[in-house]
Amino acid sequence: MFQNRAPSRADPPPEAPPKPLWLAKAQLHEVHAAAGDWASAMAFCLAAIEADARRPILLLRVRKDRRAQVRMNPCGEGWAPLGLDPARLLIVDARDDAGLLRAGLDAARQSGPAAVILETWGNLREYDLVASRRLILAAEQSRIPIVVLRGDVPPRASAAHTRWTVSSAPSTPLETRAPGPPALLVELQRRRGGPAGMQWRLEWNEDNACFREEPIVPASIGPASAGPGADEAAPLSGAVVSLAAVRAGEPLRRTA
Amino acid sequence: MTLADARARCPDLATAPHDPVADSRELDRLAGAMIAFTPLVALDPTDGLVLDVTGCAHLLGGEDELVSRVLAAAGYTASSALAAHAAAARALARHGGGGRGEDVRTLPVAALELDERALSGLRRAGLKTLGDLAARPMAGLAARFGEAAVMRLRAIMGEASSPITPLRLVEPIRLETRFPEPLARTDDALDVIEDLLTRAARIMEERQLGGRRFLVVLHRSDNVRPRLAVETGQPVRDPAAVMRLLRERIDTLSDPLDPGYGFDAITLAVQGAEHLPSRQIGLESGKEDAEDSIAALVDTLGVRLGEERVSRLVPCDRHLPEKAQGLVPATQARPGPWPAGGDTPPRPLLLLDPPQPVDVIAGVPDSPPQRFRWKGRLHDVRLAEGPERIGAEWWRKRGGHTPGNAGDTRDYYRIEDGEGRRYWIFRSGLFGETPGPRWYLHGLFP
Repeated sequence: MFQNRAPSRADPPPEAPPKPLWLAKAQLHEVHAAAGDWASAMAFCLAAIEADARRPILLLRVRKDRRAQVRMNPCGEGWAPLGLDPARLLIVDARDDAGLLRAGLDAARQSGPAAVILETWGNLREYDLVASRRLILAAEQSRIPIVVLRGDVPPRASAAHTRWTVSSAPSTPLETRAPGPPALLVELQRRRGGPAGMQWRLEWNEDNACFREEPIVPASIGPASAGPGADEAAPLSGAVVSLAAVRAGEPLRRTA
Repeated sequence: MTLADARARCPDLATAPHDPVADSRELDRLAGAMIAFTPLVALDPTDGLVLDVTGCAHLLGGEDELVSRVLAAAGYTASSALAAHAAAARALARHGGGGRGEDVRTLPVAALELDERALSGLRRAGLKTLGDLAARPMAGLAARFGEAAVMRLRAIMGEASSPITPLRLVEPIRLETRFPEPLARTDDALDVIEDLLTRAARIMEERQLGGRRFLVVLHRSDNVRPRLAVETGQPVRDPAAVMRLLRERIDTLSDPLDPGYGFDAITLAVQGAEHLPSRQIGLESGKEDAEDSIAALVDTLGVRLGEERVSRLVPCDRHLPEKAQGLVPATQARPGPWPAGGDTPPRPLLLLDPPQPVDVIAGVPDSPPQRFRWKGRLHDVRLAEGPERIGAEWWRKRGGHTPGNAGDTRDYYRIEDGEGRRYWIFRSGLFGETPGPRWYLHGLFP
């Protein structure tokens, strides 16, 4: 789904960041985004997921979530230009967070869906190391990717394989001063057993119907343009018991 | 009579489009209701029923009583007739005057239901009733009007047999287990239910059926009858799958299944059976497994959360963006193709529900916004595209075709703010059409 583009600088950086596996199969991924960037996070999930192109995608969410600032529904007509068939979408509205995770676990155990996406907002107390580990075990069994979209919350320790931060990037304007094709800023914050901290700018390419990636070398961008919470990494999971979710450091920027 | 004619004579005439499928379904329903009077009911499409009431009239107190009860059960204005055989009864009901004991010989020749040319030929020959016709030799009739005319005439006169094809009742699948001693443990009851399901599956396998709704009634000693009902999106007969749904249903009960003094009997009814052919186990049946597991997952989540909580997006043939799609329960929706976008301007990935009111600074009358405030934050608009004008659905509104009643026209703009976020924003109403049009945020673009 992605194609590489060499950076358009005079001298390429000596060690270009290795191409990641994106949202690979049989793994659990976390995608963090603010409410205003929710469409970008969703587009990244749908485009970057390693999935069968015919089987249904499950989108699980909590009905009438008070923590979400506004209620958002997928718009079928907006999916088709991104190469996705809205008929594949299966939406499950759970009652509460516990119900959401339980339904997510049930869905993750089936090998039928192409992918399972959980839409979560706020602190989500039930989503801890144990819950994420359960999701991983289910994903490894069923060989499908599972994505937990986390809205408006600073990263917290979990067993997920990768953690991403997605935000909208300024698009390349068209001649008529109109917004150009979708553009995202993606940061790989953490990856189990691999290097992390790389950033990419993804821009939709209508000719090839895919996102084109362009790595951003951290040195070449100023601290002002770094993504929100870029230099804040949650502790790695492991044998250490995770502490409470009170974190020193800059909280994720909010839109409200 | 044309519709315009009819309307001129009766201005309050209520009209409905002709729906042959619904008609035939209604006729089937009526035929099912007639089983109360006789076991032999046949359809006479498109709008008739033939009931063989031989030996049934005395049970209901005579033929007159039977006819009045049948007409009451039908609930429609219907014409009826009784005769010794089906063809005569049918001719009397459709072409007779409606009196009891009417003779088929007095029926007009139209009762033969020949084409218009043949009928006018008969009338011109002075043959007005079936009695006139029956007195003539049949050979001449057959030579002129065909064999069918003679066959029908003989059937109506009772000289040839007129058999009916009665509908056959399908035996409902209903199983029961009674216990010599009350069953005091819920787990035992579940084992019995599984056993019943296995038996039901064997019956359904023979008939190539699958159940869409399973109802278990547990008869408790103190005459309390807890009911467990599960519905599935696709017909199933696998006992394990139904059992899983039943356990899910028991989990969602507000009070747990209480055996009390024990269960005396357990009944299982399979309702809404549908055709489900036996499936051959393929060597590479990965795709089927995937479809099965999705259907099972939809059923499980539907039982746990409620059927309407597991939904699919379906396109609706509507004009306004928020109404152009709907969420339909996944057990009812068939995944169908979406219309190709084609030349419409791009649509957002997410729609805000409901649209969010925003304060906007924009040029009058129709310039894109320059700055807007949403939830207390100011956004400077860097790039803008539009407007895409979407009119109100005046044809759905009463009196919407008159000026000023159509509703607000919307002008949609795709904008990008200084932080690179793209929004779909619209002004509800035009300047000059609406006093002080409001702006709303309606979608998010990636």
